[in-house]
Amino acid sequence: MAKDIYEDFLRLAGFEESEMSEYLPLWRKASAKVGLTEGDIKYATEERIPTYFDLRLKGVRLSIGSYIKELIDLTRGDEYREKGAKIVYGILPAHLHYYYALKLTAPDKVFVSFPDACIGGGLNLLFHKLNPYLENAERGGASYGCRHCALNKTRYAARNLGVIPSPDISWIWGLICDEGPKMDEYIQLKCDPNWKTYVTRIPHDQPLGAVEDEDVSRVEYLASQMRDGFEFVQKEIGIKVTDDKVQEVVNIWQRYAGKLFELYGLLACDPQPASAIDTNLFGTLLFMPYNTGIESMEKALDILIEELKQRVANKEGILPGAPKLMMWGIPANNPWVVKIFEENGVRLPFSLGFVLTKKQVTPPTFKDPYMAAAETWFRMGPNCNIGYEAEQIREKIETYGADAMVFGFFDFDRWLGGSHRLLARMVEEKCGLPTFYIEGDSWEDRDYSEEALRTRIESICEIIKMRKS
Amino acid sequence: MNTIEELAKIARTRPEKLKEQKGKGVKLIGYIGRFVPEELIIASGASPYLLCRGGQPEPPDAVMPYLIRFYSPYSRSQIGYHLMGIDPMVPILDLIAIQASDCHEARLADVCEYCKLPLARLGVPPDWDKSLSRDYYQKQLISLKEKLEALTGHTITDEKLKGSIESINKIRDALKKIDLLRREQPPRIGGYDFIRLNHYSFYGDPEVLIVQLNNLYEQLQKGKSPFTGKEPRILLVGHVIAAGDYVVPKLIEDSGGVIVAELLDEGMRQCAWNVKTEGDLIANLVKTYYLERTPPSIFQPAWEKRVEFIKTLVKDFNIDGVVWYQLTFDEIYSLESNIVSEAMVEINTPFLKLESSYEYSREAMGPLTTRIESFIESIKQKRSR
Repeated sequence: MAKDIYEDFLRLAGFEESEMSEYLPLWRKASAKVGLTEGDIKYATEERIPTYFDLRLKGVRLSIGSYIKELIDLTRGDEYREKGAKIVYGILPAHLHYYYALKLTAPDKVFVSFPDACIGGGLNLLFHKLNPYLENAERGGASYGCRHCALNKTRYAARNLGVIPSPDISWIWGLICDEGPKMDEYIQLKCDPNWKTYVTRIPHDQPLGAVEDEDVSRVEYLASQMRDGFEFVQKEIGIKVTDDKVQEVVNIWQRYAGKLFELYGLLACDPQPASAIDTNLFGTLLFMPYNTGIESMEKALDILIEELKQRVANKEGILPGAPKLMMWGIPANNPWVVKIFEENGVRLPFSLGFVLTKKQVTPPTFKDPYMAAAETWFRMGPNCNIGYEAEQIREKIETYGADAMVFGFFDFDRWLGGSHRLLARMVEEKCGLPTFYIEGDSWEDRDYSEEALRTRIESICEIIKMRKS
Repeated sequence: MNTIEELAKIARTRPEKLKEQKGKGVKLIGYIGRFVPEELIIASGASPYLLCRGGQPEPPDAVMPYLIRFYSPYSRSQIGYHLMGIDPMVPILDLIAIQASDCHEARLADVCEYCKLPLARLGVPPDWDKSLSRDYYQKQLISLKEKLEALTGHTITDEKLKGSIESINKIRDALKKIDLLRREQPPRIGGYDFIRLNHYSFYGDPEVLIVQLNNLYEQLQKGKSPFTGKEPRILLVGHVIAAGDYVVPKLIEDSGGVIVAELLDEGMRQCAWNVKTEGDLIANLVKTYYLERTPPSIFQPAWEKRVEFIKTLVKDFNIDGVVWYQLTFDEIYSLESNIVSEAMVEINTPFLKLESSYEYSREAMGPLTTRIESFIESIKQKRSR
């Protein structure tokens, strides 16, 4: 019997034999729809994934499987609509509790997705195949030289190429960048008049160091924005969500965040029990909802935590005694970045920007779900002013330890990426830690290729090792 | 000396004059952005100074230690001159009010604060069609008013505010009259001069500016147009022509075209809209500044409305071609340019997109000149057919 690469891929991704008959035809269809050829699947199965992931870890395989189930689901938006479901999209970063609350309230009546994050977050990481989307958007006017965000380009292209249908409502968030919401306006005017949106925004007008989650008027404003937005979405799709459901999601999110907290604690051990790339997919569920639910990724996370505990107990892992470098955001779509650091004797446990502080995993102080959501939002450093974020980074470095810190790889984002040079200065001033900046793009590697960045990474590694010695 | 040159001199010597004022105890308030009402600053007894410089490549580069390069050169310039040590005003300002309507401005404010400059941020929600957002902006204005009062020690009374609104309205009225002279064929004044006039109108005492601008209007009305009537009539659209960034407007007019209208979000007086002087004056400022004027590109929704406005300008000002002036890495304008470009195709109006990083070296000027000359030439040919 001929080798079936699609089946092999699913097996690699931790699918059970009992799931094959259901998922194999779906995977074939979905992969074709998102633009993956048989050659792409073969490359992922035989080269890319085995090169960058530790497939001995069942939790890692299952995390890939969980992502693939979500990717398959994303391509079935039209089918869901035919069955009467309403389609609700969002973008990174958004407060995903509301999307999950819709799903918990009416699982069969609503389809939720952050389509660009789903496609962009996996297609390059696993298959190195995002370029057709980026190029399509560039032909559609998101010019190459302007450094538009790959995610926004992917959203445009996904709609333009017919990979995803129009939403019943795209609740678009501009709490961080400007281009995210404006790309929805672009899609609506340029290629899909039915692309209906609701925009939620808040100005970046806080002084450096302001503790935004403790500024009640600011929390109230965002809470009002969220309430208006969520009420609009509910009215638009005819689903009424109770506060209890939102609270249920808050509890689920806190539980999942707590487990990630535990995972990062393990990764900070020496020797590091797994590479940062192995654990990347788990973090994404803190920021984007899966229409298929959080359960499969949570199950994978539970398994991985147990596996890593065992490794820590056995003192198994990579680069024992090596300098520990913290990176604000590990460019997971370019797994070669972590590899080059590791090859040069420096280990990176996780993205420090997305690790949670003690305050961030503490339940909110407000009972009103919108106030609680807004408070939670403002506790996250990247959502706030960089003075506050720098302080949070200081706490994280104290908690996890580091020999140096690297910023960068967000050059496409005029808010997040734009802060990195200043953040690097502030963190260096606060912690006395050497900091570095690398210009790059975490979503794609056309401009900043392995060849282009190798020398820069190698020189950083040399400096860190010299200082450590 | 003609009036434009006189106004240019007043603007050029403004820093010296403000320095003298500061010596006498007058507070100096720098401000960045169209949503910071000059009226409030004047009513507080302080002197306003618009920070809107640009057109040189070095100042944007001076910000690189603090900011990544993917920011518009306009935003970076507002602190860049200071970082190079060649800004006469920033070091003597008592406060800089910066609007925060987009990430470029917000990060500029971060750099200013990091560099220990005295700062007031003015949040401007871009989702402007909500009452929540409008109320937010109003609260921001009230907060700015309080900061100005605390700094100057003067209460901004309704009477003072009304007086400053009336003054600025008169400046707008004068500019509006001058602007409308460009509807004539041939226009009485070109865009290169009109844009500079707008800039000069920010750098003088209002009473002097009102007299000078009205004098200029009289002169223009009585005088002969410097144009022949054969020049293609150009609409210039984009984010901003900063003070000093005159290469493109000048090239357009040196190449045989004439700019008869603009849609520029910053650096212009937005003189079509006056602030009402009756009732709640802060609410009036909100209405004019936030709700009535053509929304800037960052507002959402905005682009359909802006395209309609551009089409109106094309019709009302008999526009032959549109030049889109794009600043590098200005991502929102980059997207909008495609929307406008398609709309211009629909109404059969030639469209040229130019991009600038404020790099006007000899190497850069050659292709830029060629593109503009070709565009003007092609419009002339189209007209002659």
